[in-house]
Amino acid sequence: MHYAYPARKSSNPPPFRPRSTRLPGLRRSRLRTIGIVAFAIFALLWLFSNPSVPRPDRERVPSGQPPVVIVTVIDPTSYNNAYLKTIRENREQYAAKHGYEAFIVKAYDYDTQGAPQSWSKLMAMRHALTKFPECKFIWYLDQDAYIMDVNKSLEEHILGQRKLEGLMIKNYPVVPPDSIIRTFSHLRADNVDLIVSQDRSGLVAGSVIVRNSEWSKFFIETWMDPLYRSYNFQKAERHALEHIVQWHPTILSKLALVPQRTLGPYTRTDQGDAYQDGDFVVYFWGCAKSGQGSCETESSSYYKKWSSAFGN
Amino acid sequence: MSLSRSPSPVPGGGWSSPGLNINSGRTSPANVGGSSVSWESAKMRKHGANGYPSFSTQNQGFFTRHMRRISSSLPRFNSGIGNTYAEREKFEREGYNAASGGRIRSFFARVGRRLKWRILLPLIIICTIIVYYGTHEAPGFVHWWRRSSIGGNGEKFVIILAANVGGGVMEWKGAREWAIERDSVRNKRKYATRWGYDLEIVDMKTKKRYAHEWRESWEKVDFLRNTMRKYPKAEWFWWLDLNTYVMEPGYSLQHHLFNHLDRHVYRDINDFNPLNITHPPTDQYLDADARSPVGDGKINSVNLMLSQDCSGFNLGSFFVRRSDWTEQLLDIWWDPVLYEQKHMEWEHKEQDALEQLYRTQPWIRQHTGFLPQRMINSFPPAACADDSGLNNTRIHYNEKDRDFVVNMAGCEWGRDCWGEMYHYREFSYWLNRNPWELFKEEIVALIWFKLTGQRVKL
Repeated sequence: MHYAYPARKSSNPPPFRPRSTRLPGLRRSRLRTIGIVAFAIFALLWLFSNPSVPRPDRERVPSGQPPVVIVTVIDPTSYNNAYLKTIRENREQYAAKHGYEAFIVKAYDYDTQGAPQSWSKLMAMRHALTKFPECKFIWYLDQDAYIMDVNKSLEEHILGQRKLEGLMIKNYPVVPPDSIIRTFSHLRADNVDLIVSQDRSGLVAGSVIVRNSEWSKFFIETWMDPLYRSYNFQKAERHALEHIVQWHPTILSKLALVPQRTLGPYTRTDQGDAYQDGDFVVYFWGCAKSGQGSCETESSSYYKKWSSAFGN
Repeated sequence: MSLSRSPSPVPGGGWSSPGLNINSGRTSPANVGGSSVSWESAKMRKHGANGYPSFSTQNQGFFTRHMRRISSSLPRFNSGIGNTYAEREKFEREGYNAASGGRIRSFFARVGRRLKWRILLPLIIICTIIVYYGTHEAPGFVHWWRRSSIGGNGEKFVIILAANVGGGVMEWKGAREWAIERDSVRNKRKYATRWGYDLEIVDMKTKKRYAHEWRESWEKVDFLRNTMRKYPKAEWFWWLDLNTYVMEPGYSLQHHLFNHLDRHVYRDINDFNPLNITHPPTDQYLDADARSPVGDGKINSVNLMLSQDCSGFNLGSFFVRRSDWTEQLLDIWWDPVLYEQKHMEWEHKEQDALEQLYRTQPWIRQHTGFLPQRMINSFPPAACADDSGLNNTRIHYNEKDRDFVVNMAGCEWGRDCWGEMYHYREFSYWLNRNPWELFKEEIVALIWFKLTGQRVKL
């Protein structure tokens, strides 16, 4: 029998053999190894993964509507109504211009339980936090003060981070002249929750900015503690503020001291920095209720200035 | 008397005597600079609040402690026979097997394989158990497992035990006081080791220094702060007085309490209100959360958990959580102006101060929760006893419910602390007998009693 020669092997064999299966790695012998390695990797990932559990005491961030609430406590029983009307106008027009809210209340709305009526400003501040839970800041400004530079918003004047960092007075005795407690030297503006200024004898409690947070509730409620109210501090809540700032580091660590002229320069020159043209606020500190040197007469020249700025 | 303003902290530290130095508020004595007086708490902070040194050079670790024993049991090898006649003679007399190591080796060479395994296996099993459960001093695998985040998160809890109470120069500690301390510490140490918690023993003998600053009893606050700094990973801190005993070491804090915190904690003090505190504050200027009896109602907002006994807050056993709020509370807890006005009324010092703060500060109420007393702080029948002589179901220890912790509160005032401690220690052992002990005492001893009429202790 004659058989044909078998076909010649190609002298140009294909360079690679075709694959036996789709994935050469998945051979049965390797499957186990792969399984083990994959399991180990997942186990390691699981072990070392750090699920970001939210901090249990994480705070709600207020949305900033309105950004700032201006709190003022007026006392219609002992001051002239026309004068108080200008105060109210000043706050309300300024607030309307910048999208803020003005929260103006009467001193006798709050029961200070026998303590001087000036304590009611703290209750008013707490009330503002209650009424405007979404605000970013509250600014307490005393009755006897005008906002002079009405075109400047509070953010660009003080609250901006850069601005505030430039203004902060660091490592300086909180209570003049010689308290050993000094403001923090490494405080950043985002950690500041309380902004005050200082006159020649102490902190100016008549113009204070507080950031709305859990801390602010702690701070205001501590400041108006009934036992502070009953302690007969010579200058009531002003000395109470100096006290808590010096004794409680959780308060001091949030405090920024700014020059008095940014927050509340006086009309008189002997007690602290005096108002100069162009300053943001003027504060008729120590003006009388009536008669010579009353708040009304003292304020009249300033009234003209700011009301013309509004174009009234 | 009250001052026109509160005194400032004086340079060099401390609080000048209230009322002695009227000017201290305004012109604090700045020129005293360099005086040797310094604020005690500041000094202590430098040294670590507990009086123990931060390290010791002796008795540390297994090897230093057992070096002598280990080295003497090692086989001895003679480097060769000495030249003297005596040594050569000795060598020949004792043979090669002088050292015990050699003896064991030759023993193993002689016995068969099966016997070898029979000896080795129990040894291996015992070693495994020790590695697993640990010993008295060295925690085992279970401890580390329960510490980790997958095995129960034990490192989130720190137990702070106030030890060394009543020490000092005037009151010598007697044998009983030492025994109380030893038992109490051992009890907590075992408990903490078992569940993977940390135990911080703080030294209360520093009381005198605080008394000097009118801050006696507020050292708790500084100890809490220091402990929080020392254990940065921990979340909850459990303060325990010395006269407490963990009756049920088998309860983990997680299982007993923290897994179902919302079920156990009550926020509304009106549930049980021995102090008659008017509860939800009603001031119109407060927000809804502050005026609600339960705060915001979320369990996550509870940062302080304590229990109330018959006369109000009890700080013999309480929990605080690390948070900004807690720092604020610890900061505000002692204040010179508050203290000056109230210290005559504050018989229980820091406890009364906390009650005062709770009464007047809504922000404190919003983050304080209360636990039923018997969950963390059962009293023996002698504490808070009323005329009826009956156990108060809210206050007093009840073994049927297997209460967790007993606090022998007030036993130093006319009761027998050591007697109570001993009683509860033995009782706890008895309640938590292991199966072998149960078998011995409930079956064997009973049978023996029936047969011979004699009670035996096995």
